[in-house]
Amino acid sequence: MNDKSKIEKPVNVLIVGVGGQGVIMVSKVLALLCQTHGFEVKQSEVHGMAKRGGGVFSHIRFGPKVWSPTIPKGKADILLALEWAEAMRWLDHLKPGGTFIADTQRIVPPFACRNRKRGAERNYSRETPAEIIDKVKNGYALDAEGMAMTLGNRRVANTILLGVLSTALDFSPESWQAVIEKFVPPHTIETNAQAFQEGRSWTANAVKPLPVVSEAPSAESIDITTELTINTVWCKGCDICVKMCPERCLALNEDQEAVLIHPDKCTGCRICEWLCPDYAIKLHKRPNSQTEGTGAGV
Amino acid sequence: MSKQRLQNIPGNHACALGAVAAGCRFYAGYPITPSSEVAERMSAELPKVGGMFVQMEDEIASMGAVIGASMGGVKAMTATSGPGFSLKQENLGYAAQAEIPCVIINVMRGGPSTGMPTRPAQGDIMQARWGTHGDHPIIVVAPDSVAEIYSETIRAFALSERLRVPVVVLYDEVVGHLIETVDLQPAPEEQLASRKWAEGPREGFLPYRADADMVPPFPRPGDGFRTHTTGLTHDENGFPTQAHERVEAVIGRLLGKLDRHKELIESYEAVGCEDAEVIVTAIGISARAAKKAVATARKNGIKAGLFRPITLWPFPEEAFRKLSAGASAVVVPEMNAGQLALELERFAPGKVSALTRYDGEHIDPSQILKRIEEVLS
Amino acid sequence: MNEISADSFDINEYLRLELFPHFLCPGCGHGMAMRAMLWAVAELGIDKDNLAIVSGIGCSGRMGAYVDANTFHVTHGRPLAFATGLKLARPDLTVIVITGDGDSLAIGGNHLIHACRRNLDITCLMLNNEIYGMTGGQVSPTTTLTRFTTTTPYGNYEPAFDACRLAEAAGASFVGREATLQVPTLKNLIREGIEHKGFSFLEVISDCTEIYGRKNALGNSPEMVLSQKSKMRPESYGGLMSNKVDQPFRPNPFQTGVLARNERQEYGELCRRHIAAKQQAE
Ligand code: SF4
Ligand code: SF4
Repeated sequence: MNDKSKIEKPVNVLIVGVGGQGVIMVSKVLALLCQTHGFEVKQSEVHGMAKRGGGVFSHIRFGPKVWSPTIPKGKADILLALEWAEAMRWLDHLKPGGTFIADTQRIVPPFACRNRKRGAERNYSRETPAEIIDKVKNGYALDAEGMAMTLGNRRVANTILLGVLSTALDFSPESWQAVIEKFVPPHTIETNAQAFQEGRSWTANAVKPLPVVSEAPSAESIDITTELTINTVWCKGCDICVKMCPERCLALNEDQEAVLIHPDKCTGCRICEWLCPDYAIKLHKRPNSQTEGTGAGV
Repeated sequence: MSKQRLQNIPGNHACALGAVAAGCRFYAGYPITPSSEVAERMSAELPKVGGMFVQMEDEIASMGAVIGASMGGVKAMTATSGPGFSLKQENLGYAAQAEIPCVIINVMRGGPSTGMPTRPAQGDIMQARWGTHGDHPIIVVAPDSVAEIYSETIRAFALSERLRVPVVVLYDEVVGHLIETVDLQPAPEEQLASRKWAEGPREGFLPYRADADMVPPFPRPGDGFRTHTTGLTHDENGFPTQAHERVEAVIGRLLGKLDRHKELIESYEAVGCEDAEVIVTAIGISARAAKKAVATARKNGIKAGLFRPITLWPFPEEAFRKLSAGASAVVVPEMNAGQLALELERFAPGKVSALTRYDGEHIDPSQILKRIEEVLS
Repeated sequence: MNEISADSFDINEYLRLELFPHFLCPGCGHGMAMRAMLWAVAELGIDKDNLAIVSGIGCSGRMGAYVDANTFHVTHGRPLAFATGLKLARPDLTVIVITGDGDSLAIGGNHLIHACRRNLDITCLMLNNEIYGMTGGQVSPTTTLTRFTTTTPYGNYEPAFDACRLAEAAGASFVGREATLQVPTLKNLIREGIEHKGFSFLEVISDCTEIYGRKNALGNSPEMVLSQKSKMRPESYGGLMSNKVDQPFRPNPFQTGVLARNERQEYGELCRRHIAAKQQAE
C-alpha cells in the first residue's frame, strides 16, 4: 500500500472500545500514519454515551479520495476492538472477508446491559472468541492487556493491538513506530516499541487455542435462574432500586420496603444490587440445570 | 559499639536519647522553639536503630501521626512547645479516649499565644492537665535536670505503654537547654516492656474489656482482631454508645485507671519535709532554685523542706498532705501567675504562698529564701 | 486480570453485620461507594486482617465502622495524618482513608496536600457530596454556587475546589474521579488506586439526598443518582471540560476516570532506604 496508486477505493477501519480505553489515541495514530503517506483521511469519532464505560468508536477511512466520513454496516475492511463486548456489538459492520482484531478483555458498564432477558434471542456478547474467529476470515482475538502486563505496563495494550493491526495494512513497521512515538509519553517509548513488536510477532504465530474471554458468560449459562433476596430490615425505602431497574421488576410496598413484583422479568443485571446504598439486595444467579422453577423475591 | 555513657548534653538531647533507649521507634514533629533540638536529635538517632522520623506539615498532624504509629503497635513520641502544645490537645484527647499510648514532650516557653519563644516559663502546668476538652486521664512528669529528663522520658514510655494513656514530659526552656552530665544507662528492664498485647480467641473479642488492672489488652492490627477504634465514647466492643448507664461505666473506668495504679505513677522528691515548718513546692528550674534556698534556710536555722513532684499529674496528693501537715506554710515558686499554688491550696488550705514570676526570667534562690523568711515572721 | 466474577462477591463477608442497618440516610451515595471499595478489596484478595481503614469525621467517616477490618475513626480532618503514622509504622498493612469533602478539603486540607506531596502508599477515598451532612447541612468547600445550605440561606457565593486538580498539583501520583452511579467502574478505579504504589487520591461523586437534595429540590434519591450520568465525561475530554475555579463545579460536566498518574518514588520506600543506609554506615 506504500504505493499509493494501488489503492483506488477507500480503506475502512473501524476502531471501537469503551470510554477511557484509548480508542481516540489509537485512531489518531492510524490517521496520522495514513496522512504521512499522502492519503486523504477522514476520521469520525463518537464518544458513545460520553462517559467512562460508555461505548466509544472511531471510523477511519483513507484512500486517494474519501467522501463520506462514516463506514456503513458490512463495509468495514478492518474492525479493531479494544473490548470484547464492543467487538461483538460492531461485528455487523465488518464486511465478509474483513479482518477482525479484538482484545478479549471485557469491561462491563452497568448501563451497557442490553437485552438479557431470559429466553431472549442469544445475546451478542455471549459468543466465545472461538465461535467468532470461525465466522470471520481473518480473525485475531488476543489478551492484549495480559500481554501488556507481562511487558510491565498495562497501558501499552493498545500498542500491542496496533502491532497486530499493522500486519493487516501495508505500511512499514518503522513508519508505524515513528508515529506511535509521537503519541506516547517519552519514557515509555521503549516499552511501546516492544509492545508493537510483540503484537506483530503474536500475529505471525497466532494459532488456536484462542484465549478465553474473561467473565463472558458461556453459552450454557444463558439459561439461568435469578433469585433476588431483599433484606427488608436493612431496606430504607429509598426507591433507587425501583427506579433504576431496567426491567421495572421492583416496587415499594405500603411499608416502604422494596419488593420484587416481577421475578419473571429479572434479567440478573445486578443494577439494583450495586446501587442499593443499604446492601439490602442480593442477587443469586444459578444455571437452570441445577435449580427448579423461577426465582422469587422475599 | 560502646557509646560513652557519661555525656555532657543539653536536656533536649537527653530527652531524645531517653526516648530511643525506651524503645521509641517513631517520631513525628513540627519545629518550634525551644523544643526543636528534640526533633533534630531524633532525626539523627532514629535511623540508626531502624526507627522512623517524619517532620509533618503541622503540630496537629504530628500528633495524629504519632497516634497512628502507636495504633500500629510502635512506641511513638512527639515534642513541642506552648503554641504547638495547644494544637496537639485535639488529638491528645483522642489518645486519652481511645487509650493509645504516646509520649508528648512540652518544653515550656513564655505565653500566652506566641509569647516569648526563647524565654523560659512554667505556664503550661494547667494546660498539661486540662488542655484537651472533657474529663480525661493523663499523666504529666516534670523533670528538673538533664539526667532526669533522660530517665523520666524512659519512664514516660513505660507508663504510657503499661496504662495505655498519653504521657506528657513537661519541662521549661532552661532545663531543656541546660547542658549537664548525664549517665546514658540502658533503660531499666521493667520499664522497657511494650503494652499488653491482646491474645486468645478472636471471636467475640472486646477491645475495651479491661483486665482486673483496669487496662484493656491492645489488639495489634494484623493479629486478626479486626477491632474498631474511635474517639467517640465507646462501649467495651469499641463501638460508639451514648447509653448513659454504659457511658458511666466506660468513662468511669477510663478515669479510674490511673487511681488504681497510683503507686506505679507517683514519684516525688522530698527533702527535709518531716520536721519542716515551711515547705517549698516547685518543679523544673524553680525546684532547683528552691533546693538551694531550702539548704540555705536550714543553714540559717530555719526548718525548711522541699517537696518536688516528679509526677506532676496526677499530683502526689497523699504524700504532699502527709508531709505538709506539720508545716505552717507552703511556698510555691513558679514561673507563671500561680497555677501550681492554686492546686496546692486544695491540699493545704490557707497555708499556700505563691511566689510567681512571668517576665521570662527564672526565679532566684534568694527570692525564695526571702519568701521563706517572710512567711515565718 | 484476576477479575472475580460479580456473582461471587458477597459484600456481607466484609461487613460487621451486627451493626446493620447502617445509620446513613435513605439513598445516601456513600453506601454505593463503600460497596465499590469492598468489592475492589475482595478482588485484590486483601486479607481483612491486614486491611486498615482510617476515617475522619462526618457521614463518610462513620462508614469505616461498618467494615470488618482494622478500623480507625479519628478526629476531624485528620485521617491522613493518622494514616501517615500508621502506614510508616506498619508498611505491611493496606491503608485506605475514607474522608469527605469537608474533612479533607477544609479542616484537613493541609494534611491532604502534604500527603499528596509525600506520596506514601495510601489510598484516599474522598466522598464528595458537597455538604456537611452530619452537622446538619452546612456549606462545604465543594458546594455548588448558588445552592442552598443551612449556612447559605440565600444561596452559596463561594467558589468550589476541584479536588482532583488540587491533588494532582500537590503531587498525588494517582488521581481519579468516579461517581457512585458507576459502581463497577468505581470499583475498578479504586482497585487501580490500591494497586498503585504511592498516594492515590480518588474523588467519589456521591449524593446527600436527604439534606442537600431536599434543600435544593434536586429530586429524590433515584433522580439524584441518575443525574450524575448526564454530567460525567471521560478523561479523554481533556482540558475542554476542566472546571474553572470561578465557575460552579458540579452542574458542569466533570471528568471521570484516571485523571493523573505518574510513577514516582514511594515515601515509605524512601524512608526505609534512608534508614537502611544509615544502619549500614553504623
Ligand atoms: S431486579 Fe435487579 S437484577 Fe433484576 S433486572 Fe432489575 S435491576 Fe436487574
Ligand atoms: S435501593 Fe435498597 S434501600 Fe433503597 S429501596 Fe431498594 S432495597 Fe430499599
